[in-house]
Amino acid sequence: MKNHLTEKELIEYQFKLASEARAEEIAEHLKDCARCREGLEGLKRKFAALDLLRDETKVSEDLISQVIAQAEKPTQAKIVSFRKPAWITAVAAVLLLGLLLLVPHLTRQEVQTREVAQDLARPAEDFGKKDTMEKFALDLAEEKPAVVAAAKVAEKLVPDKPPFAPASAIELVVLPRREKVQITIYNSADLTLVRERRNLTLKKGWNWLQFMWANTLIDPTSLSLEPLARTDKIDIQQLVFPARLCELGRWLIRSQITGQVPFEITYFTSGLSWRAFYMGTLSADERKMELAGYVRLTNKSGEDYEKAQTRLIVGKVHILDQIAQLAKRTYPYNRPGEMWDFAEKYAEFEEEWEYYADEIRDRVTSDLKLLRPKEIRKEGLSEYFLYTIEGTETIPDKWGKRLLSFEAEDIEVKSLYKYDEQRWGNQAIRFVAFANDEEHNLGETPIPNGTVKIYSYYSAKQRFAAKYEQADERGHLSYVGGTNIKYIPVDEEVELNLGPARLVSVEPILMNFETDNFLYDRNKDIAGWDEIRTWKIEVTNTRTLPVEIEITRGFDTAYWTLQLDGRDVSYKKHDATHARFKLEIEPRTKRKFNYTVTTYHGLRQEALTE
Amino acid sequence: MDNTDESLIDAHRRGDRAAFGELVRRYGDSVLGFLFRMSNSRELAEDFFQETFKRVHEKAHTFRGGRFKSWLFTIAKNVAIDGLRRRRKLRVVSLEQKVDCADGEELSAVALADNSSNPSDEAVKAEQTEQVRHAIALLPAKQRATLVLAYYQQLNYRQVAQVMGCSIGTVKTQMFRALKTLAQKLPDISKEQK
Repeated sequence: MKNHLTEKELIEYQFKLASEARAEEIAEHLKDCARCREGLEGLKRKFAALDLLRDETKVSEDLISQVIAQAEKPTQAKIVSFRKPAWITAVAAVLLLGLLLLVPHLTRQEVQTREVAQDLARPAEDFGKKDTMEKFALDLAEEKPAVVAAAKVAEKLVPDKPPFAPASAIELVVLPRREKVQITIYNSADLTLVRERRNLTLKKGWNWLQFMWANTLIDPTSLSLEPLARTDKIDIQQLVFPARLCELGRWLIRSQITGQVPFEITYFTSGLSWRAFYMGTLSADERKMELAGYVRLTNKSGEDYEKAQTRLIVGKVHILDQIAQLAKRTYPYNRPGEMWDFAEKYAEFEEEWEYYADEIRDRVTSDLKLLRPKEIRKEGLSEYFLYTIEGTETIPDKWGKRLLSFEAEDIEVKSLYKYDEQRWGNQAIRFVAFANDEEHNLGETPIPNGTVKIYSYYSAKQRFAAKYEQADERGHLSYVGGTNIKYIPVDEEVELNLGPARLVSVEPILMNFETDNFLYDRNKDIAGWDEIRTWKIEVTNTRTLPVEIEITRGFDTAYWTLQLDGRDVSYKKHDATHARFKLEIEPRTKRKFNYTVTTYHGLRQEALTE
Repeated sequence: MDNTDESLIDAHRRGDRAAFGELVRRYGDSVLGFLFRMSNSRELAEDFFQETFKRVHEKAHTFRGGRFKSWLFTIAKNVAIDGLRRRRKLRVVSLEQKVDCADGEELSAVALADNSSNPSDEAVKAEQTEQVRHAIALLPAKQRATLVLAYYQQLNYRQVAQVMGCSIGTVKTQMFRALKTLAQKLPDISKEQK
């Protein structure tokens, strides 16, 4: 008897997901296998529950009528208010034009023109733009009095008093797509300044523009809107946060023109971040290194940023609020109310995410196809450092993107081992040292903090010449170690800690300990003495390269003297309580040296100072 | 008169208003059913419904023949997914929550049960219905769309693939994943009715 069918196979059979051939095989199996037939019946019973939702959803006649009526409406109706029919303006303009043509001689032209201009400028007083408006109106009035008259009539039709709220959703200006977007990421504060350019279609008079930030980390208190053209004819009156409508704000805009106007919307958001990371590749002799710097942008702001010009700030900024916290408030100004269950919202989002992942992946893949390495331009600011990524980047929400920041070759490096029991225990630590300066083919800009991974061309030929004769010139690339680096200013030296060394070891052995030179006080108690220790240090290098090692020994007292017994070993006093030895070890060799340290205690310390 | 879907959309393109109305009536129930199962909210489904037929009206000139039903459901699917993405708040209806019915009145979930049974059976069935609704609502959107199209709208896998804009293999994968998840979450109605 063959194996029984799995649940997967039963589901595939029941719902016709299996291939025809496989379905036939399963059907054959089911004929002979009572247990699998029972399993299939159980599955059918289980999925019968789906039929509970088979009830028909009936569409109402009202809805059908609405849909048909909607299809008959012109598409632009959304942003046009019909409360003030345009024909009233037109008729009034024609009447006034006729009046002006018939009786030009009755009044002095100059006086009339000035009056008209002043009338026109009056509403502009409220906006602090009286002079500009008056001059404009005066110029216009001198050239085309009829036009001015018509404009005056039309102007009087725009109510001066702002509306309390939009009469209905149909009066709201729809926020159109972004034309341009620039994001500046201040990493240290989880803060991003977003500047968007959008073309809004305004009607003459009062306009409401609705901006929503639901499910994003935008700080609603930072929202700002500015027209980029026709600034003398457009005035942003206020931004209101309507009651009972969470996560949306409405700008009230007074416009003296009808048509499309470019606007800039700026705000702060949280959730966008970047981090730098580096990949260093040591040459086989470990004297040179190639270093590539990358920047990874991550977007968890809840908003997709398409084709955004991206700027990165290195340095710390001081802000009073955490933007993410501001954005998470239900109401922008701490109105009382129930807070969201963010865990639930996140779970809902996660469900949705799986679906969108494919779509966004396609978009990003197509972007990547077009991607050539982009230059990241860097420039110094007074207190920060600004990196601008060349061109634009699309950063969908929940996605990250890696960009090449710089590449440098032939950086001279110093490979160094250090041993210091008090800092790292009884193991040697490997370091690679270089400087961020021109001499090292770097030094153009500071290097932001980030993680560094170092690889090495492990020379297979050198080590296993007989075995790997076919190995290429450079050998195999192997991982050496990684570490985090702090911000490296220009002309600053840096040592990368690559972690414990496995092929270089240091073993200090205490060979002798004695005390001497006791001093006694008047009660014949011990008041001073010397402790003399003799240490043997064994250093083993099992690598195929010579290594330089720095051994630091601590004595727990500032009163000490040291006698060194060993050739080609030197030491210097590192600080009050430590001595530091330096030596070089040939490949695959072991070296030993001894030293005797005398520490002075009690009254014997005076002997040393004398 | 030729009353096929394709002839109606042709007539609509030529400005025949009645033709568009006929299409709305013909597919209204199934499109609304699909959108309701996708959104799990009558209110959202009706919004999506209006948007779907608005797009059908506006994009009628882009219909290049083939099966109108697949084209219509492709639009409905896109509307639902775009709409849900904007809202990102696919609400799961709780067992206590009432369900809006078509004529605007509220009808408790219990009322969906079979009238012929006794009240306790009705309550059990209503609860099971909600469990099924809940289980489907918890599926990722792509799996949910595939399941609804294939199981409830009874499109074959080739048609579902057309609507979803992917291969039949992908559709089958999504369907299998959906069913596997549901197998864990669906109530066993035979057991509970005993």
